[in-house]
Amino acid sequence: MRIPDEERALVRAAKAGDQEAFSGLVRLHQRRAYLVARAILTVHEDAEDALQDGFVRAFQALDRFDPAQTFGAWLNKIVANAALDLTRRRKVRNTEELTDALRSPFRDPAESAELSERLTAALATLPERARSVIVMHDVEGYTHVEIGEMLGIPGGTARSDLHHARQKLRELLKDLRG
Amino acid sequence: MADELKFPDPSARRADRDSDALDERTARVIREAYLPPVASSEAETAYWNALESRIMARVASADPAQSEQGWLSVLSGWAQVGLVAAAALFATAGLLSSQLGDTEEQVAYESVMTSTPEALSAPAQLITSSDHSVQRDAALQYVLSY
Repeated sequence: MRIPDEERALVRAAKAGDQEAFSGLVRLHQRRAYLVARAILTVHEDAEDALQDGFVRAFQALDRFDPAQTFGAWLNKIVANAALDLTRRRKVRNTEELTDALRSPFRDPAESAELSERLTAALATLPERARSVIVMHDVEGYTHVEIGEMLGIPGGTARSDLHHARQKLRELLKDLRG
Repeated sequence: MADELKFPDPSARRADRDSDALDERTARVIREAYLPPVASSEAETAYWNALESRIMARVASADPAQSEQGWLSVLSGWAQVGLVAAAALFATAGLLSSQLGDTEEQVAYESVMTSTPEALSAPAQLITSSDHSVQRDAALQYVLSY
């Protein structure tokens, strides 16, 4: 994958201790990294915590970053690890809270409220890893290999999780389709 | 400068997804459910700016090598304990070895001193036995000469 020259320059400067350059990297990557954390944790506040932890860890490990790889892929792996650490530290909240957290009443006014509600409820019933995989793959567009690297599982396992997650989601939403 | 950078958006990444993937509408609804809970696009911009500031505040308060030093300090802590334990072990072993050495020397000395008469009696017996054989040989030769 071609790494943009600008990103390369930001990484080089950040590695030399330029915090403004690191701020540029945060600005560039925080949205996608947040979604990675949110796919794993589902709760907004937890995702924010993991994101901040991830960026601090990335900053502290910058000297070990291989400039031949993309900063985003490396960062997302760190953020995913921070999110997984958080899930291990806290036993995440109960299903009711999860469903509430997944609701976003002020978004997509044109979207079917029913679809949104049913989807969030269906997602909440999926196993944690399956939910992460389906969001990362079908929503965020990551490959099985990328997801495997982020979640610390083989790419084949990510593929298999995705297959089962889709089946279950379709089953739960079948009366909405058509 | 970073604002000018462009990265492919998720919908572009999803373009080559497999036919079994969730449909666009479902993916969009999920994506929106997973975005930070902000009320408008202006609020969203403000949210990301604020989050960036919070991240940078944490980064600024973190030493770049803190994790390394953290691990090193943990390791050096253990190393210190290990070194003290090893030194104590060596000192104890040295003391024991020295005491055992003294004891062994004493035992060896005493065994030599007490075993001297026996040690000396063996050659004496040999000499004695040797004398007997000479006498016996001489007697035998005398008898045979007749």
